[in-house]
Amino acid sequence: MKPRLLWQAGFLRAGKILALRTKRRTGRLACSSAPGQTERMPILSVRDLHKSYDATVAVDGLSFEIEAGEIFGLLGPNGAGKSTTIGLVVGLLQADSGSIVFSGLEGVLGVGSPEDPNVRRRLGVAPQALALYEDLTALENLTFFGKVQGVSAERLPSRLEWALELAGLEDVRFDRVSTFSGGMKRRLNLAVAIIHEPQLVLLDEPTVGVDPQSRIAIFERVSMLKEAGCTVVYTTHYMEEAQRLCDRIAIVDSGRLIGLDTVPRLIQEHGGQGLLTVTHADGEEVIHTNEPVDTLTKLKETTAVQTFGYQPPDLESVFLNLTGRALRD
Amino acid sequence: MTEILLLARKDLKLLLRDRAGFFFTFFWPVIMAMFFGSVFGGGQSSGPSAIALIVVDQDQTEASERLISVLDGASEVRVIPGDVETAASNVRRGAVAAYLVVPEGFEAANRNRFVGGAPLVELRSDPSRIAEAGLLEGVLIRSGSVLLQDTFTDRAQMESMVDDNLLAIEAGPDFAERAQLQGFLEALKRLNDTGLVMPEGGTSAGGESAGGGLTPLTVDRRDVEIERAPRRPKNPYAVSFAQAMLWAVIGCSASFGISLAIERSQGTLVRLRMSPLRGSSILAGKGVACFVTAYSVSLFLVFLAVVVFGVRPLSWPLLLMALTCTALCFVGIMMLLSVLGRTERAAAGIGWAILLVMSMFGGGMVPLFVMPDWMKALSDFSPVKWGILAIEGAVWRGFGPLEMVLPCSILLAVGLVTFVIGSRLFQWGELG
Repeated sequence: MKPRLLWQAGFLRAGKILALRTKRRTGRLACSSAPGQTERMPILSVRDLHKSYDATVAVDGLSFEIEAGEIFGLLGPNGAGKSTTIGLVVGLLQADSGSIVFSGLEGVLGVGSPEDPNVRRRLGVAPQALALYEDLTALENLTFFGKVQGVSAERLPSRLEWALELAGLEDVRFDRVSTFSGGMKRRLNLAVAIIHEPQLVLLDEPTVGVDPQSRIAIFERVSMLKEAGCTVVYTTHYMEEAQRLCDRIAIVDSGRLIGLDTVPRLIQEHGGQGLLTVTHADGEEVIHTNEPVDTLTKLKETTAVQTFGYQPPDLESVFLNLTGRALRD
Repeated sequence: MTEILLLARKDLKLLLRDRAGFFFTFFWPVIMAMFFGSVFGGGQSSGPSAIALIVVDQDQTEASERLISVLDGASEVRVIPGDVETAASNVRRGAVAAYLVVPEGFEAANRNRFVGGAPLVELRSDPSRIAEAGLLEGVLIRSGSVLLQDTFTDRAQMESMVDDNLLAIEAGPDFAERAQLQGFLEALKRLNDTGLVMPEGGTSAGGESAGGGLTPLTVDRRDVEIERAPRRPKNPYAVSFAQAMLWAVIGCSASFGISLAIERSQGTLVRLRMSPLRGSSILAGKGVACFVTAYSVSLFLVFLAVVVFGVRPLSWPLLLMALTCTALCFVGIMMLLSVLGRTERAAAGIGWAILLVMSMFGGGMVPLFVMPDWMKALSDFSPVKWGILAIEGAVWRGFGPLEMVLPCSILLAVGLVTFVIGSRLFQWGELG
């Protein structure tokens, strides 16, 4: 075996041992959280945020709070201002007015701004565009970004093992990213975002262009992050993802917040009526109702129902009711 | 500093992984150097524009003025009056190809050419500009022949010259061809007395005679005297490798400028920007990687030039200084190029267009002396010219530290200004 490979093998063995120890100690995947932090405490507060590009208003008075330990969904049609909001939150963009305050972050005294390196060290961002070095291997990408994020040399081996395991890329760690499938790249993109145990993870469309298997794998990883105590901001176009993963969802359109609550409450308030589809001797009938049993019972009194189906209101109904059906380009 | 080195190491690793990029960075300049070294033979071919020649008239006589006036009238030469010190310094710096000294006693020698030989002039030239020096020598011989023709077409002057030469032969020591020369001069005198003098334009410039009297001019051509071990390049590669080093550094500048655009378009720049690293550290990391690569490829070329092609730099410390200043200059230019195009393709197109123009005007492609005057004037604005001059100054021009100050200062200033402007205008890209 070449000296480099020997070194890597030793390095990996050490990493595996450390990773196992970390798991035993914490009993779950590691994700740092502030000491004494309770789950109802806001970790990020956005107040009356405004951002315009010349005459185009991208963010128009956006306000919300993200609580520690929750998965917060950010939903909106194309051009709604989601990416601009993320850009403002992570300090890539400067707001015209308003405030973004991080609080309760470990190692950050009082409140912090997105430009504060101590705050950034505790944020993990997986951009929609795969931000990876294609000519580096998976391990090299993780190592590089881990060091950039300030992971110490002692912790790095265990973090690398953890991240590779999380991304399901242990067997291809020495392969260049350019040889990966779209799903593998997405998983690595996620792993790079969390290699440094961030407290707040921002995932921008993390399942775009991946196969169902990778999508399921990403869902599982995001759920694991929540279990590990991470706070996650999840931006997506896919309603079923948001409905499945998110504790609360903010719906934005034209830079404005038009709905913010838990999924059941959003459906209750904005979902409208479900669709009861009934077939009988005269054909098929679609009835809008939120009381399918009562409606069906009444119908059976007058008609011989052959089959029926019910589609309750869901997040897609909420989304379309709030943002309309006009195409967005 | 650790984070800057971390970023630089990543860029170097990426460069090594890119086989095409690695080839064009390290080996393409070698191929070009070998090609041009063999084609140009270390010098340059003759060109259409007038060659600047500094002329030092130490004789200050009618004959010397006549020679200079004829020389100035030649289309190939542009005469600039001067003194020896300034002239030598200008040649060493590469500002002119050569200078001419018309020594004291030129007129007397011209008059006594049948006894003492053709009058002597001293041509001191840039060792790398062989073709220009050769052309100047030819123009000098031609101008000397005009001087000789003057004598042959003026009966009084001819008579006076023949008498002076006969007297000098009488008074001087005996020599083998004395009788023949006396006979020739007396025959010439008789011919002159008959009025059958040579018509204008009918003289011959060549043809050795006894005593060399019919040779128009003796040109003592030497390379410019340099304080330490003056010599012309031992082989053509001393010149072509200086150009190759500039091409290599230009290549690095373009590659890293484009790599910033690639990082912007593929999103890694945004990812880095969202990290705890400061923006200045990220850009500095790119700058360090560019510098290390440019310096490495320059040292690689120096190694090849020395070990394989037998080039012997006159001053190693000054060469390292020249390479450092050149690399720093092009790190700054890299930063400026990276802001000119938002996409990889735009950055590559704009970057190479600018660098090629810089190289063209700076003598990286075509020797400066074949360019028309307006192009030569523009070459001062190209850092390529100053980079080549600084490297040549250390390799074979024999520059001292003081002579290195000008090119090195210009290189550093260009590097600093372009880096600052590039950093200020830099755009990090957007999410998604």
